[in-house]
Amino acid sequence: MSDLNEEDIRSALDMVLERRNADTRLTTMGAGSDDLDAGRRYLASTVTQGWHVPAWPSEHGGRNASVSQNALIGRVLREFIVPDLYPFAIGLGMVGPALLAHGTQSQQNEWLRSIASGASIWCQMFSEPEAGSDLANVALQAKQDGEEWILEGQKTWTSRAMWADWAICLARTDPGQPKHKGLTMFALPMSLPGVQIRPLMQMNRDAHFSEVFVDDAHLKDEWRVGEVGEGWRVAMTVLAHERAGGGSRGGGDGGAKGRRIPSWISDLRLSDNDQSTVTSDAIMSLYSHDSVSRWTAQRAADEARSSGAPGPAGSGAKLRTVQSYKGRSYLTNRVSGAHGMLEEGHGYIEVMTAPSMSIRGGTDEIQRNILGERVLGLPGEPRLDREVPWKDSRRGLI
Amino acid sequence: MSDASEVDTLITDTADRLFSQLCDHESIQKAEADGQASDIWSAFADTGFPWISISEESGGSGGTLLDALEVLRLVGYHAAPIPAAETGILGGWLMSSAGLELPSGIVTVLPNGSQGLAVERTGDRLTISGRGLRVPWARVAETIVVPLEIDGQTFAAAIDSSECQISRMTNMAGEPRDTVDFENVDVFAAVLPSEINLETFRFRGALSRTALMAGAIEKMSQLTVSYTNDRVQFGRPVAKFQAVQQHLVWGAQDAALARMAAESAGREANRGPALFEIAAAKLIANQASARATKACHQAHGAMGMTQEYPLHHLSRRLWSWRKEYGGDAEWSSWLGRVAVAQDADGLYPLITGGSAVLS
Repeated sequence: MSDLNEEDIRSALDMVLERRNADTRLTTMGAGSDDLDAGRRYLASTVTQGWHVPAWPSEHGGRNASVSQNALIGRVLREFIVPDLYPFAIGLGMVGPALLAHGTQSQQNEWLRSIASGASIWCQMFSEPEAGSDLANVALQAKQDGEEWILEGQKTWTSRAMWADWAICLARTDPGQPKHKGLTMFALPMSLPGVQIRPLMQMNRDAHFSEVFVDDAHLKDEWRVGEVGEGWRVAMTVLAHERAGGGSRGGGDGGAKGRRIPSWISDLRLSDNDQSTVTSDAIMSLYSHDSVSRWTAQRAADEARSSGAPGPAGSGAKLRTVQSYKGRSYLTNRVSGAHGMLEEGHGYIEVMTAPSMSIRGGTDEIQRNILGERVLGLPGEPRLDREVPWKDSRRGLI
Repeated sequence: MSDASEVDTLITDTADRLFSQLCDHESIQKAEADGQASDIWSAFADTGFPWISISEESGGSGGTLLDALEVLRLVGYHAAPIPAAETGILGGWLMSSAGLELPSGIVTVLPNGSQGLAVERTGDRLTISGRGLRVPWARVAETIVVPLEIDGQTFAAAIDSSECQISRMTNMAGEPRDTVDFENVDVFAAVLPSEINLETFRFRGALSRTALMAGAIEKMSQLTVSYTNDRVQFGRPVAKFQAVQQHLVWGAQDAALARMAAESAGREANRGPALFEIAAAKLIANQASARATKACHQAHGAMGMTQEYPLHHLSRRLWSWRKEYGGDAEWSSWLGRVAVAQDADGLYPLITGGSAVLS
């Protein structure tokens, strides 16, 4: 497919999408919303020409776009209303790319297009009660039994679980190996007998964050993603794409073309805030930080697209983007004065959500470790359990 | 009562025990859902706690302001979902200072006094109309107290809550902060002593929040130290990682800082006017709670974001209390104005001498 120019892309998108204007308000990462329909409508209307995941093969819902074409489409998309795709983000941004890298042809045929069209929602069954930042410590067990795998264990912090049709699930297949080596990745249908979801209510009252209990669930071997024992490698692909923010293009509260003042600043004017120089100073430094964050995130995403494999730049982008989100929500709440302490107050959902931003998708500490070790070449954290069989390291080494 | 500058530990030990028994995670959750905690309040009120620092002649329980502030610190520490400050050192204080008889039930106050209300005076009767915003626990209060200024004099008006229209609102912590509408309500108002006016009432409100915040930060810090010592990742408790230890140190520093500021403001207020100390203490508590909630949430990871774990009872209260009776900007400006009004040689004496220098 030959590359389209910017105007061609814009007029093609005009046929299927609405332009964004200064009043467009979207939620961020699903906070305070259970709306699946807006995202589903958007994906259904863009999938035919592959606008949302242009780099994917056209038979899977993309348009075989080159790196530069993909980036250009991404830029033009920001002029249109792209709903918060939080419910679909795991499939679009993480599972999709991981399947393209590690999945078989028939797995790609079976799953990718329904991800791109919004027909199926995926979640990520990685974290467990004893495996959060220390993800490689997962204990959920998968035992081979003929053509099947039998899964047993518990996951937690599984965002979107109760919406999901499928999960990408990291399981331990060989407890005798050191922790990173005995893992295997599976695709797991959430409707499978033995899979139970218990929503955990969050501080911001969202309930799309769950515990998932797996009890004697029988999986087909054809749902295994990647080789047996290669689960960590697949997980790293998934997580690198998460950090690079591949799933969030167009979404969020980015600036529409031609708009001088971002909506979060014009919202501040609507509230009963003080117009002091101290406030102006805070707004301006946040505005600069916010702009640089957006460019950094775009650059990280572009780099990931061009190299095909996201690198540590995604960690830097995530840190900045999170800091920017938190700064915006705290400032917005601060300038709204005493009214801002009410649940009905300006920015309540954002304030309640803000702390989670530095935790979900890899904590700030984990991102800084990645940058320290992989960019700056600093010595790594001591790894006490490096060559120890996983089953012997369970109770803690010191 | 013993020496007036010492806290009566018998009182505070009893309060601590009471809250330890009653304010468990489930009870606080339930209070948030119900919009009140009548059982916790009854147990608290049965022992006379709400009226500490109000003299027995006025119908109070006696004791000093320091005792009352220490109880408030424990209210914050245990996230006790009760209107302790409103009934006692705010509403009860205004009523008893004006010589009004204290009711046996819950008292609350309009945080902004008569600001935004229309007050008409006919002889010794007053008629009030208008709206009071963010009134703590108005829905369960027997009496609503409005401090108001007329012709340069400050009065306390005590209003039967059944004469007002109350709309339920809540702060970020799920504590009632209701909207109260008055429509031509006739009230009896009694004049307050000259040292009490709308400004000193606001400082008193800030002092109450400072004590609550000091308690909440302390508990949050302890909770975080204990969680990070239990939580094992990478083969060791996460409290052994330096990055996590930094968070713990922020929490502990801020707990110490806020408590020190609250206590010194309380001591000064127990002696006389303490405007400088209270303004400084509220600002310190505000800033400490912003840093400490950030650090403690981060150290808890995802666990701290769930409603099933109690961290949010403390962090959400701190975010709300930070805005009550003056946010950072208000107290920074006040302190700034006072500091600038001294000449250069007056700055150091102000910092060391505080309110004593100002009077």
